[in-house]
Amino acid sequence: MRLLALLGGLVLVVAADAYAGEKQSCLDWLKTVAFAAHQTDYTGVFIYQYDNRVETSRITHFVEAGGEYEKVESLDGPKREIVRHHGQVWSYHNHKMVEIDSHKGQSKFPSLLPSQLSLLGSNYQAKLAGIERIAGYDAQAIVFQPKDSLRYTRKFWVHTDSGLLLKAAVLTDKNQVVEQYAFSQLQIGGKIDRSWLMKSAIPELRSKSGHHHGSISSSSPRVHAGTINSGWVAASMPVGFKKIMEMQRPMHGNHAPVIQIVFSDGFSAVSIFIEPDDGDEDDVEGLYSRGAVNIFHKVAYGHLITVVGEVPPLTVMRIFDSVRHNG
Amino acid sequence: MNMEISALMDGELLEDESEKLLDHIGRVDEGRKDWEMYHLIGDVLHQPDHIHCDLSAKVRVRLQDEPVVFAPRKRGGNHKFSAVALSAAASLAAVGMVVWMSQQIGSEAFPQMAMQQNLLHPANVKIQSKSNDYLMAHQEFSPSTDMNGGASYIRMVNYESEGR
Repeated sequence: MRLLALLGGLVLVVAADAYAGEKQSCLDWLKTVAFAAHQTDYTGVFIYQYDNRVETSRITHFVEAGGEYEKVESLDGPKREIVRHHGQVWSYHNHKMVEIDSHKGQSKFPSLLPSQLSLLGSNYQAKLAGIERIAGYDAQAIVFQPKDSLRYTRKFWVHTDSGLLLKAAVLTDKNQVVEQYAFSQLQIGGKIDRSWLMKSAIPELRSKSGHHHGSISSSSPRVHAGTINSGWVAASMPVGFKKIMEMQRPMHGNHAPVIQIVFSDGFSAVSIFIEPDDGDEDDVEGLYSRGAVNIFHKVAYGHLITVVGEVPPLTVMRIFDSVRHNG
Repeated sequence: MNMEISALMDGELLEDESEKLLDHIGRVDEGRKDWEMYHLIGDVLHQPDHIHCDLSAKVRVRLQDEPVVFAPRKRGGNHKFSAVALSAAASLAAVGMVVWMSQQIGSEAFPQMAMQQNLLHPANVKIQSKSNDYLMAHQEFSPSTDMNGGASYIRMVNYESEGR
């Protein structure tokens, strides 16, 4: 009998160990993904599906001495394009490329920090879900199931050789797909067309070395890394969301600076934007949803407050309800 | 309570249960708030465009503005049914109708219904482009950008073409 109890205990320990091992290996895969996404040269066509729509786009990513270059262009419908380099983002708008966001000079949001990984571990149950074939490559499937219904389930398919993310899905607690990305064709490494850089209308890209950045003036909103304490708080963030930063930033189309407070649980970020209510009639309160991102905005305490995050609608509304000004 | 509202919206409640629930919603503020929130979420799930918060409130107000129709009643009918219950049922039917329409049919088939929907939540280009700015400002700090890089920006790439 005693032996049996001992054996039972042993089995439990081994099972717990196995789970801890599986969880660790899922987290290791994520680290690989975050590394590979920045360091790998690749070009391919991917499908983005959300709500009832499907969009096809081409993505090209490569690393040069000047840093990472990335271009995403839509393949159906009117021409749409996003170019990213060194914390700067340009978008094709009115027949020209316009700089729309810049974190120049500020270190990029760090790749999955250890603290983020531990957040993930405590908020989600991690499971390896076998090897599947995506875009002709073998991929390790990993599932992260949240421990509450305030966030979405994440499923990832990671290329076993390169560590590139081949497919990613966001699911509800009822296992319905909220949005998903999947490569349908992908070339990893090899000869990747970089000629568009030289032909680009963006001077920063044509210079290609990345050293001339400081000399180019731009009217785009510039984010300064000034962390502040605005006195605004979200009194009841869901468990596991940690404040990542709080800053005052200029924003496109806004005259006054906007306060942005960012929280993250490792997978999902939630931003709270606070700005003075300028009485604009167009600032209708409401909930807006785009794939996994939900936006809720409304005037409260004489300010226009906007909550944006990759969390279910009820979660952004709850967070909104808990926003207060202390002091 | 919330489960019951959800069941009612899905037409899964029995008649007397729904009556009781509607009565409760009509009387209790908290109940009405839940009711509105569930409809808002339902609307967003069925229709990805910008949704106003107070859709059901608006429907209720519109219904109050509607002229009263005096229809002959069945003799011996229960006159104790209060007008409140009737108007609550009517607003439920109206909201249900709008949600159902957006699910079931394309706008081409019923142009006048489509117009009505536009009245309920007018397309607001400025709001959309503003939402886009928030999305953009948020995206750079999202862990998902770290995992799939520029692919996460596709949300905004799509968006540009619709909003502008």
